[in-house]
Amino acid sequence: MARSGTVEGERGGGFLVEIDRFRGPLDLLLHLIRQQDIDIFDIPIRRITDQFLGAVEGIRAADLDSAGEFLEMAATLIRIKAQMLLPRPESDDDEDPRAELVRRLLEYEQVREITQRMERAEAERSRRFTRGFVEPRPRPAVDDVPLETTWDEVFGAALDVTLPVVVDDTHRVTPRTVSMDDKAALILDRLETEHGLEFRTLLAPFAHGDPEFRMHGVMTLLAGLELTRRRRIHLRQSAPFHELWIYRWEGPEPDDGMAEGALPDTLGPDHGLPADATADDLEPSDPIPAKPAWDDSEPDKTIPDPPIRSRNDPPGEP
Amino acid sequence: MNAEQIVEAVLFASDAPLRPDEIARADESLDEDRVEVALEWLRRHYLESDRAFDLVEIAEGYQLQTRPEYAPYLERFDTVPKPSRLSGPALETLAIIAYRQPLGRLEVEYIRGVGSSGVIRTLVDRGLIEVVGRGEGLGRPLLYGTTLRFLEHFGFRSMEDLPRPEELPIVLRDRNSPILPEDEEDGNGNAPDQEELELEDADGEG
Repeated sequence: MARSGTVEGERGGGFLVEIDRFRGPLDLLLHLIRQQDIDIFDIPIRRITDQFLGAVEGIRAADLDSAGEFLEMAATLIRIKAQMLLPRPESDDDEDPRAELVRRLLEYEQVREITQRMERAEAERSRRFTRGFVEPRPRPAVDDVPLETTWDEVFGAALDVTLPVVVDDTHRVTPRTVSMDDKAALILDRLETEHGLEFRTLLAPFAHGDPEFRMHGVMTLLAGLELTRRRRIHLRQSAPFHELWIYRWEGPEPDDGMAEGALPDTLGPDHGLPADATADDLEPSDPIPAKPAWDDSEPDKTIPDPPIRSRNDPPGEP
Repeated sequence: MNAEQIVEAVLFASDAPLRPDEIARADESLDEDRVEVALEWLRRHYLESDRAFDLVEIAEGYQLQTRPEYAPYLERFDTVPKPSRLSGPALETLAIIAYRQPLGRLEVEYIRGVGSSGVIRTLVDRGLIEVVGRGEGLGRPLLYGTTLRFLEHFGFRSMEDLPRPEELPIVLRDRNSPILPEDEEDGNGNAPDQEELELEDADGEG
């Protein structure tokens, strides 16, 4: 983006000046003077002014900051030119209109000289390293962006946000700490010696505060239901939420083709009451699922616990 | 432990140049003269034993610095503090302030012929110049002067190390004469511009 202006000398010897190369108007002016071997104490002000204006012409309005400085110098030159044209009063102490400009130029030239020497000193110094900490490198500054939005927009945006639905579908595999087998064995064991027993007594050894109390209760009930289905015991309850009683099976032998027909009357031999309020699974309408594999292979005492079905499970094919 | 070793330890651990009287504070056995002797001994010792560093007099004090020929090796490390270089305008402004201090922004701008507030702020931020007082004139302008950091940056021992004006091919303006011409000294800087622009207009029409 080097700007340039054509500087026309009085005698027509034009040459090119790149404004960007100069640190300011004094720099440019010195360049014009020194390049043409002009006596700085007798500057041909008209010629220099024309050349200066020619060089400055290339400056566009976009560079107004630096342009202003060049234009200010142009104005100074024009003023001096005008003063030179005026008839000068005869008094001795009236200075040459160029005097102050000459002083500035000489001083600036000296500053330029000193600057060059300091630059050399700096270069020399920069080849020597000292001990000392490394200053943390400056972080790029983050611009402060003004908030150009209204609260309505903020609220609107907030309402539009759809939170992802978090579904914890992790299937946790935990050991079953209480087994139904044990409960079934316990029930049968107790019935060896007792005719009937209260469900409650089976849970008596376990404190209510025990975190596994519920599990013992559930497993004992499931074992009772399963044994009932296999016609090993009866469950009886006089009314909902009353004590559940467990009795030894008294009826047809458990083993003979019982699988499909867990009929109500087999559950309650003495009266027509449903066997119990909790044993939904045993309602007549409820088809007993296909005989589980273990039913054939291990028809007797040991009851493996896995295939416990709830009524919501799809019934297997018979 | 002798004085030389104590002085060496202090110099080794310091990240800024130290004056002999500052080094002497390290131990009761030391005074400025003793430190000077030790410094001279260390300087010669490093030289004779061909160390990669030497003892340099800088910024009114002493400092251990690597010798220039090792610069290429050190420049490769981010962890080694690199001496930074100043821009042309910054150097120019610094030169003016160094020779004419204390002085204000307007005078700097008049000598340079360009606006300098940004450059001056940068130099203050970098600790190379500081406000040393307030001028007379309108608004009591801030006056600036150079700092020890300035000497350190250029490797000068003292202000005496700056190039002497009489060595220069051109003679500087007498220090006591006003830099700004009379009509701009008490103005706000814009009034003269206005006047000049009017003149320019007149010229253009004629």
